[in-house]
Amino acid sequence: MRGTLVYTGQRLVLIAFTALAVSSIVFIGIHLQPGSSLLTDRPSNPVRLQQLLHQFNLDLPWPQQYWIWLTHAIRGDMGVSLSSNRGESLTPVLLREAGVSMTLGFFAILFTIFVGIGLGTLAAIRQNTWVDYVASTAAVITYSIPPFVWAFLLIIVTVTYLYTLTGGAIYEDIGWGKPEQIPVPALALGLPYAAIVARLTRASMLEVIRQDYVRTAWAKGLTGRVVVVRHALRNALIPVVTILGPLVTAIITGSVVIEFLFGIPGLGKEFVNSILSRDYNITVAVFTAYAVIVGFANLAVDLSYPLLDPRIRY
Amino acid sequence: MRPSGLRAWAVTLGFIPILGLAACGSSSTSGNLAKDQTLNVPMQDDVAHLDPADIDAATDIPILQNMFVGLYKFDDKLNIQPYGAKALPDVSSDGKTYTFHLRSDMKFSNGDPVTAQDWIYSWTRAAKHNAAYEGNLSPIIGADDVANGKATSISGLSAPDANTLVAKLSAPAGYFVTMLAMPTETEVVDRKVIDKAGDTAWTNDASTYIGSGPFKMTARVPKQSMDFAPVANWWGGSTGTLTHVHIDIGIDQVSQVKKFESGGYGVVGPLNQNVDTDDVLRYQNDPVKKSLLSILPGVRVTGLGFNFTNGPFAPAKVTPGQPTTHTPDDGLIGREAISMAIDRAQLADVACVHAVTCAPATGGPIPKGVKGYLGDNTDQYAKFDATKAKQLLDQWDPGKTKRNGIKIRYNASAINDKIFGNVQAQLKANLGIDVATAPSDFPTLLAERKNKTILGLFRESWGMDYNHPQDWFDNLSICAQAGVGKGNNEGYCNPALDTLVASADAKQLDQALPQYVQANKILVDNVVWVNLIYGTNQFLTQKWVSGEGNNGFYDYEWKEISLQQH
Repeated sequence: MRGTLVYTGQRLVLIAFTALAVSSIVFIGIHLQPGSSLLTDRPSNPVRLQQLLHQFNLDLPWPQQYWIWLTHAIRGDMGVSLSSNRGESLTPVLLREAGVSMTLGFFAILFTIFVGIGLGTLAAIRQNTWVDYVASTAAVITYSIPPFVWAFLLIIVTVTYLYTLTGGAIYEDIGWGKPEQIPVPALALGLPYAAIVARLTRASMLEVIRQDYVRTAWAKGLTGRVVVVRHALRNALIPVVTILGPLVTAIITGSVVIEFLFGIPGLGKEFVNSILSRDYNITVAVFTAYAVIVGFANLAVDLSYPLLDPRIRY
Repeated sequence: MRPSGLRAWAVTLGFIPILGLAACGSSSTSGNLAKDQTLNVPMQDDVAHLDPADIDAATDIPILQNMFVGLYKFDDKLNIQPYGAKALPDVSSDGKTYTFHLRSDMKFSNGDPVTAQDWIYSWTRAAKHNAAYEGNLSPIIGADDVANGKATSISGLSAPDANTLVAKLSAPAGYFVTMLAMPTETEVVDRKVIDKAGDTAWTNDASTYIGSGPFKMTARVPKQSMDFAPVANWWGGSTGTLTHVHIDIGIDQVSQVKKFESGGYGVVGPLNQNVDTDDVLRYQNDPVKKSLLSILPGVRVTGLGFNFTNGPFAPAKVTPGQPTTHTPDDGLIGREAISMAIDRAQLADVACVHAVTCAPATGGPIPKGVKGYLGDNTDQYAKFDATKAKQLLDQWDPGKTKRNGIKIRYNASAINDKIFGNVQAQLKANLGIDVATAPSDFPTLLAERKNKTILGLFRESWGMDYNHPQDWFDNLSICAQAGVGKGNNEGYCNPALDTLVASADAKQLDQALPQYVQANKILVDNVVWVNLIYGTNQFLTQKWVSGEGNNGFYDYEWKEISLQQH
């Protein structure tokens, strides 16, 4: 237990350093980009521009600007928006958006895990039957199609076709705020990754179900569910869990396009908009938030290893 | 092993997406109007500013025009109508004193009365904020001093009584009333509320976000949604039939149409956005759906700009802000060649859904539908003539050196990629020159244009603010705007044009129009822009929505919209 706490502490320090490094690199990167959120295609008023630069500390040297941002960020103040409703505090907006993205990501990961492991297991225990062929072929097709294409297909099917087919009784209501608006974008986001997990689970299960201890379990007369779930699947999941870290990262960053298409007010959409509008505070905050979220997701995956394999200790 | 259990699991998982789908409620009706008078509308980008004093983006105007009131407004046919004023102002014989008689029954949505002092407070505050449309107050004596921090009150404003506002101008400005009708900085705000809630914080809460228009904000989740309701007992009379306007923010253009098709939106297209061109084509070609598509007039021109201060198309190299009327004009023939080598009809066909979403620009920079438009086919350099263009090119560049390495800088978007991709192809086909396209994001284009660092060609585009040619010249074509960082991106500076415009600005429009037309012709003759296309506004409107539209500049007010039985 103590080892786990130490390990967790070390990782938290690492996450903090990662956040610091990401924020400083992004800060420099975004400031190097030409243009500014204070410019519009209206004729510029130099006096006004100077006033705004001063108001938002943009007339200070970069290191000073970064220090101000950092000291405020540590206190939980992400600064103010420079573009949309200029001057509005960003912290509540970004917290809400992070919550939205994490909700979407959570359901996408849930879908990825359950569908991926379920199909992979099914394909393995029914190896070389039509179930296996269908599941394997579907998995290959599914992960060959990127999430944004799935998103378009799902929008066409669940919004337009379903609405027409059911006379408006059932359809996907694009947007965010209602529980029923979560599954379809989560599906679009998680589908390709579910296919990857399915392929990996199948391969891993095929290896495990041929092990002596599984044969012994069958010989003991245990039920299929106990043999598959308790003895085979648990051990087969270790390589699957290994890829969950990168998978979580991919799902989080992959939400950018999905959020755009489904009109979901999450960090992903902010991620793109802030760069295009040169809203420095948002860009740095969002990149840093992503770094922290990914760091915590990886930590959670690493901490789950001992639950699956008692031989692993921290 | 019990496969049946696994099968059940798989089947359940298969239904996960279906379980989440929404059920559509059908609206009950009363008479011809739908019982539920909620208008759902999407917009791609959140408003840039909620404070009228800070407006600097076209996205703000269609929202704020329903919540705030200026002295005048444009009706659906672009006529100027009194709004906060009782009638058009009394103008002194020297054209420098405007006396506005205000409505005495005007109130803010919280019940506070609106007096002449509120107008003075609002205009002074707007000048202090010094945002993009502060120029609308510039004609008033002392307004620019407030903007530049040299004074705290506008010396040219006074209120002889609660219902009279007097504005003294530093020079006659025939465009002043037109400019006041633009729903921006000159709208009135409630001093009591702002003093209490804070100069910036008052817009952050629906309870303190008070205007005097027919609608008030009831809820807002930044970058997600906004909700509005009509003001009860509005001083201006009826607020129409809508009981609720809900705006979804940040919905992708394509997804907007999909949701429209499932009845989720009453209309797509207002709030300063357009319908995706592929969807326009789809609706255009569908005999049933075609009736839902409206192509409304737009007052935007898109073209190519040249750098007049440096580079191959400049008359001569000069410091930005200095006159560019060098004789001989070393770049003129080159600019003519570029302009005549582009077949606008082909461009509109390729880029604008067979010329549905835009029209070839053949009548100069001020777009069709705006006062000061020169008329169809009046721009001699907009007439496509590949042979003449090639001759001009060779005349301009006999050594074949100037034509090398030309780039077109534009901000990347689906429509811009089509426009400038076609321009590139036409210049190759008709002039034999390899022009590279250099797409960037919008801030990069803005910065480079304003700083006059682009030596080749660049995207120019301007949506007129109000129906007066002064809007074009004073913002885009005079020497005062030609310096580095200013709005005349070409750096074109012609003192003769400035004199002409200044003279026209001082007169009422009917007298000034010939001079504006003359100034417009100067821009055409000097090929300051290669005017390519005039834009349109595209709306998709459900059959059950009536009263929605756009007059070219602004959306129709929400109080005109009603929802019919469906």
